[in-house]
Amino acid sequence: MLRRFRLEEPDTIQAASDLLVRFGDAARLYAGGTELLLVMKEGLVRYERLINIKQIPNLNQVKLENGAISIGALATHRELTVSPALRESLPAFVQMENNVANIRVREVGTIGGNLCFAEPHADPGTLLLVLGAGLIAAKKTGQREIPVENFFRDAYETCLESDELLTEIRIPRTSAGGVAYLKFGYLERPSVGVAVRVELGGGGKSIAEARIAVGCAGPAPKRVEEAEALLKGKSIEEATRLIEEAGGIAGRASQAISDLHGSQEYKEHIVQVLVKRAFQQAVQKS
Amino acid sequence: MRFEKEIEIVNSKENVWRFLWDVDRFIACVPGCKEASTVEPGKQYAATMVEKVGPFRVSFPLRIDVVESRELAYIKALAAGSDNAVGSRLKVELEVGLKGDGNRTVLSLAASVDVLGKLATLGHSIIKRKADQVMEEFAQALKQKLEGAA
Amino acid sequence: MATASSRRAERQTIALSFTVNGRDYDLDVEPQELLLDVIRDRLGLTGAKRSCDVQVCGACTLLLDGRPVSACTLPAFEARGKKVLTIEGLAENGTLHPLQQAFIEHGGFQCGFCTPGMILTAKLLLDENPDPTEEELKHFMHGNICRCTGYKKIVESILAAAKKMRAAARKA
Repeated sequence: MLRRFRLEEPDTIQAASDLLVRFGDAARLYAGGTELLLVMKEGLVRYERLINIKQIPNLNQVKLENGAISIGALATHRELTVSPALRESLPAFVQMENNVANIRVREVGTIGGNLCFAEPHADPGTLLLVLGAGLIAAKKTGQREIPVENFFRDAYETCLESDELLTEIRIPRTSAGGVAYLKFGYLERPSVGVAVRVELGGGGKSIAEARIAVGCAGPAPKRVEEAEALLKGKSIEEATRLIEEAGGIAGRASQAISDLHGSQEYKEHIVQVLVKRAFQQAVQKS
Repeated sequence: MRFEKEIEIVNSKENVWRFLWDVDRFIACVPGCKEASTVEPGKQYAATMVEKVGPFRVSFPLRIDVVESRELAYIKALAAGSDNAVGSRLKVELEVGLKGDGNRTVLSLAASVDVLGKLATLGHSIIKRKADQVMEEFAQALKQKLEGAA
Repeated sequence: MATASSRRAERQTIALSFTVNGRDYDLDVEPQELLLDVIRDRLGLTGAKRSCDVQVCGACTLLLDGRPVSACTLPAFEARGKKVLTIEGLAENGTLHPLQQAFIEHGGFQCGFCTPGMILTAKLLLDENPDPTEEELKHFMHGNICRCTGYKKIVESILAAAKKMRAAARKA
């Protein structure tokens, strides 16, 4: 059961930010509540007030604007899977969203809530890392764009300030490139997630750009620049020969530890396997 | 969960031993540990362990019992406490060993940490990571305090 | 500025006007009341079950404005101005929905605990996709867990109902 709380329902970003300042630690932003209400039910956190931000208009749209795809933070996972703009420009993202949790969580849970709760065993963050996304954080006095690489600090911790709301996710449109996101797990949440993006160059024969990110295994999703550097500039054949080594680097960089999801060695191994498969898929798609 | 660490301290065994029994200075080295007090010198102590991971806070009021000690060589202590707000219990078995001569002491730490209850099922890997962090910071703080002020 | 989060919040009442199985209700709820408890305890509709209580099993599935939600983890105030469909509202004038009929005919349930959630979710599947492949069905129903049947009979029931419903639609 849920402990008693009071509901605040601001209808502007400024009002929501004001409430955050006014109530501090005693209040928390509430959108879909699919993560928040679970930990509140368990009694692991207590909030005197929940700030329902779903009344704030225009925060759930998907738009294409000047070279970027803009995703409103309040868009539910389901809304993203049926968005014509996303389906056309980022099918890999739609596929990832279509496999988040289950149909009911996808219906109610928001992409913004998923990112801000920063549960380690989650999907979107890992993929956003290879897409070079920017996260827009707004408060009363203005807004700023946070590169996704800087967003996740630790498990359940982002770099958002206490009076900021995540309002938008901006993904630059990439003209050429193949993206793949693969995950593995047999528990309710994914145990390992890997995203790979490649851009081909040299007449489609070499790797002009490679992005590799790992998630779920460690406390926060992260890009693995060392693995990316191994592939960049190489011919596709050469990169294919090196992909296992790159996967090994990514595995060790994933900060995996042994727990109910698997031993550290097993998770590192799965990372390596998924990096290889995602790379092959990304190359094929590009 | 088991953690083991060995650190070299530039100080005499006697000074290190004395430091270990100075409750306030010892507890000050454990990150998150506050409000240390002596219930029975050499036998029983109390402290509160406060930790934070993201929005989650735990506070364990600990009862610490010294179960074995050998002068200038070894201490074994058991600490236990419950945080009823999160329905969880913390148990730590800590063994401290001293070796060395002159101004060089090797301090070996072995901790067996058990978290029981809700936290354990929901946050196993987070706890492990946090406990590792605490151990590392603890060892570094000990070294710093003992080498800084002889 | 910041108040201690351990201080107990003052009681607050929210007016909840909504429709359940075609019938209008006006209730007062507190923010922390969950939809599942309002449906079960205050409206007496006990088809939806509290099973895992963490929104993974689907036994508490309700359709809210036609969309599937985990009532165990949804505050009741989220149903303001909306239409709820529970398993009790599926049959019309005593005639079972083809899915309910198919689950009976094909052995789609044993203990029946997961069944209301299964059927409501399957209803939505067939509304959206009248001729699903088995793969599409399994992906859609992935969040509804059954401990008894091993799923084979559930899949058969849903596909059988789908076939009947397509035939009826052609005749209409």
